[in-house]
Amino acid sequence: MSPRLKISNYVIERLSNIDTNETTGCLYGLMYDGTLLVVGLSLELFENEKNTYRQLLLNLPAEIELCGVVRFGESLTTGTTMKEILQDVDITDNPLVMIVNEKKEMKTHFLVHDKFEETKYEVLSTDEMWKQFLHVRLNTILPLTCEATISGVKNILQNKRKKIASGQVSFHVDGTSVYLFGVASDVGLTGTSTEATIGELVDSMSPEQPKKKKHNTNTVEIVPINLVLKTTKDILSDKLVKTAVKMMTTQRKPAFCISMPLRIDTLAIIHRNTKLLELYTVLVEAACRSLRLLESILIEQLGQEGIGDGAGLRLPETFHFLPQELGHFVTRVVPKAIPDESMEKERRLLHEQLGLPLNRPLFRRGNAYSDKTGGRLVNPHEAIPQQPLKPDVTVALVRGRYTYHHYMQDNFNDDGWGCAYRSMQTIFSWFRFQGYTTVDIPTHRDIQQCLVNIGDKQPSFLGSKQWIGSTEVMFCLETLLSVQSRIIFANTGAELQSYAHDLVHHFQTHGSPIMIGGGVLAHTILGVEYNSATNDIRYLILDPHYTGAEDLSTVISKGWCGWKNSDFWNKTAHYNLCLPQTKPAI
Amino acid sequence: MVRTVYSPEYCLQYLEQYASKEIFVIGLILGQSTESRENIIHLARTPDEKSSENPSETSYDSEKLESKTLLNVSEAWVADHAKHVTRMLPGGMFVQGIFITSDEDIFEDPNSFSKVKSVVNHIHKVMSANQYMFGDCTFSNERLILHMSTSTKVLTCKSLEVGTPAKITSIKPVEWKFLPKAQQWQRLDCYYEFDDVYPVIVKKSGISVKQQFQQILESAHKTIESSIMFIDGELKENTEVLEQILKKKKLPKTHSKVQHQELPKSMNVSLFVPFENSLPESVEYLECDGSIHFSGVVSSSVFMFPKATVGETIAAVKQDIIRSLASRFTMHCDALIDDNLLPEEKVCFNEPPRRVLVPVGSLYLCDYLFPGEAPAEALLSVRELLDLQITEAEVVCDVETPADTSEFDALDKDTSSEELLATPQEASQFMYITGIFFAMFVLIVSIIVHYYDAINELFSKFVS
Repeated sequence: MSPRLKISNYVIERLSNIDTNETTGCLYGLMYDGTLLVVGLSLELFENEKNTYRQLLLNLPAEIELCGVVRFGESLTTGTTMKEILQDVDITDNPLVMIVNEKKEMKTHFLVHDKFEETKYEVLSTDEMWKQFLHVRLNTILPLTCEATISGVKNILQNKRKKIASGQVSFHVDGTSVYLFGVASDVGLTGTSTEATIGELVDSMSPEQPKKKKHNTNTVEIVPINLVLKTTKDILSDKLVKTAVKMMTTQRKPAFCISMPLRIDTLAIIHRNTKLLELYTVLVEAACRSLRLLESILIEQLGQEGIGDGAGLRLPETFHFLPQELGHFVTRVVPKAIPDESMEKERRLLHEQLGLPLNRPLFRRGNAYSDKTGGRLVNPHEAIPQQPLKPDVTVALVRGRYTYHHYMQDNFNDDGWGCAYRSMQTIFSWFRFQGYTTVDIPTHRDIQQCLVNIGDKQPSFLGSKQWIGSTEVMFCLETLLSVQSRIIFANTGAELQSYAHDLVHHFQTHGSPIMIGGGVLAHTILGVEYNSATNDIRYLILDPHYTGAEDLSTVISKGWCGWKNSDFWNKTAHYNLCLPQTKPAI
Repeated sequence: MVRTVYSPEYCLQYLEQYASKEIFVIGLILGQSTESRENIIHLARTPDEKSSENPSETSYDSEKLESKTLLNVSEAWVADHAKHVTRMLPGGMFVQGIFITSDEDIFEDPNSFSKVKSVVNHIHKVMSANQYMFGDCTFSNERLILHMSTSTKVLTCKSLEVGTPAKITSIKPVEWKFLPKAQQWQRLDCYYEFDDVYPVIVKKSGISVKQQFQQILESAHKTIESSIMFIDGELKENTEVLEQILKKKKLPKTHSKVQHQELPKSMNVSLFVPFENSLPESVEYLECDGSIHFSGVVSSSVFMFPKATVGETIAAVKQDIIRSLASRFTMHCDALIDDNLLPEEKVCFNEPPRRVLVPVGSLYLCDYLFPGEAPAEALLSVRELLDLQITEAEVVCDVETPADTSEFDALDKDTSSEELLATPQEASQFMYITGIFFAMFVLIVSIIVHYYDAINELFSKFVS
């Protein structure tokens, strides 16, 4: 029987927007409860043998597997490449073949006994996707010592994979007493009921969660897991070898070896109803996937000239990315301290393979998904209840992540004068999160120092409590980030109204937060809503004058982050806006 | 409250046997301290100094013993005894103090008392020298002094604080109780497995076997200390009492069809090690001169007072594995002739002695056998060090097996075939030379050649 079919809304969106010359793509999905859920897609770039779907799979969370192909065109023809791909589908006996024609109409077929059977599909909405699925993230460090050769690395990593798959490892859910055991133990699970699901465990870990969830449905839930290795043998096992400890030393010609802490950081996506007992094999697969990915990066480095002997080998570092349009994680491993700039080629290929825009970075280190924000709130505006879309209304919002910077943070009292500095920091955080820079967010003093350095301010400005305005923000962005800004002057608050199109255009093309200052206090604009029928404009404002704690519900309910009508602006005061511009980059 | 210790009754007979002979005897008190109770497991007379130099001679020469007095006992000798006995103790058991049978009142006579102090403190000093032996009981620093007067047969026990300046020695009375029934012990077993391969970096760590073992010990200690312990597959609270775990287990009798309860009283322990990052966050690039494969098991059986807590048990198991490892390494290194990790031969095999269990009262202590040694060797140490007679059949020799060479060959397969194999000599050193294999090859070839000639002969005969 062929499975039921669901397709994530992200995939539908991407297929409708995709503009490609390729004829074939791969579909990736996961099975749960008799249902095949398609969560991702890639384009087959045949001119590039390295970027195949097999390699790409290593970059996806465990449980996601190749599940079929997508053809761009009218007819249901099977080429040789398509057949080859379909043969690699292991997740189901009935690979999926999808047709997307020029009108972006989509048809789905299961391949059943070499015949296509058209099948219906259900679209899984974005909200449902994040509600029903969660991620487990396995973190551990394997000490790795081996010969500094390609075969040395291959051997040792194969051994590590064998060890992990041998059932000797156990997984521990961080912060709980839940341990999952492998086949080498007679118990599968301890610390909770054997019937428990991962969803139940997550809910029990944080009882306040349900309240928060109402606010923020799009939060990605990630359960942290670590790994422990069984170092004792089972006494009851018949295969018990009891040879006493011994040491064998083998002499070699002096050779070179490498030693490093190999950090495994890997994800798996699972349905909330998955039993904890079933999680073991998922985690083993996740760990092995990570080891293969790490291996490919180590070997690639060893194969390079100059590094060939291992002396210049760099520690592989893992980053997870969750680009908004993708709807699933992509994990990349990059050699430590190699600047993002010199890895643009690889990133470009990845963008092309995933059909992502080529005008902004998505896979630089700064783009990496991170829940460490120094305690600051990330994208508080996403917690504002969304209003139903109305015709004639255009909404354009900040694109990507930023952190909310406001008064009194970092134990620094800037109440009354630091609002523009904080707004600048929010903008800066946006540039960091979007991967444009890895420069640290400047402190008030850093900003003042910058302005003194470029001669805009006298040295006495340093350490003062003087205000800054939009032009200063522009200067700093240019000096620290080489980011150019457009400045808009509005003589009165009323005149702001006439720049609605400029603001919409700004958010649609650049997507960066806007700083607004002038005769009055500074604010950050995160979005704009324009009603072409009534000419009404509303602004999504992030207020840096907030002095309270990092509490999302206060920030939202008291309007420190929220939609403001035009009367928010002082009719008589003048305003300067700093619109940071982005340059096309990957 | 007066400190109370519980001892098996045979210890009383043991003391009386010496006291009635009216001879001076000094020996060690072995036992286990837990929060819930202090148990003594055994008393072991320190062997006579002279006779032990020549262990084949009887050490029960009563003529000689009679001339011995407390004042001419060598502190170093008693401490050495304590060191050797500690190797035989499972984790959680310690040398808790000393016993003396003599006619003088050792607590009243200032000379005697200062000698007692000196002996106890010397033991303390020697035992704390090697942290991996866990010789010095960490539970308290008060050691027991048990005295039986040879004239009155009166038993007195006191405790003495060690490691403090001589002037402020605090001495406290201790109540010593004999248990008519044998003490029940909760046995916990595990096999701790090693299987590590790492490079030999002569520039960094030299080529000393001793040093290499020391490094292995240090890293094993770190690893084991960080490990998480499960009892019968379950994670327990440190405060839980062993007895309670057993009782809880018996409750769900509904599916008690589990027949594989051959070891009804023993609990299985498993250890899990988290990977913690102690390495620098970078790739080290090293010149190495060879590789080390350290593998095999340390079998561990600890015996706990059933009212002991899980926390105390965990500590005992961890101690046991490290102590056993340290004991074997020390014994192996003491017997080494050539302390060279990378001798002329390409492959070198160091096989420390393996553990065997020896019964003492209602539980087991252990001993170590070098490769090639028979279980009878263990009888000797039990007699010498524990002053106990056991039979060869009582020695449990199969908790660990000696490394056989076939396994060694398998290990060797991935290295070059022309390598010479060598294992340490003397106690555990044997040499295997590939020449032997070559000789065998030559032999086989010559047989074939020989046979071939015979065939040829036959064939030519047939033709003619």
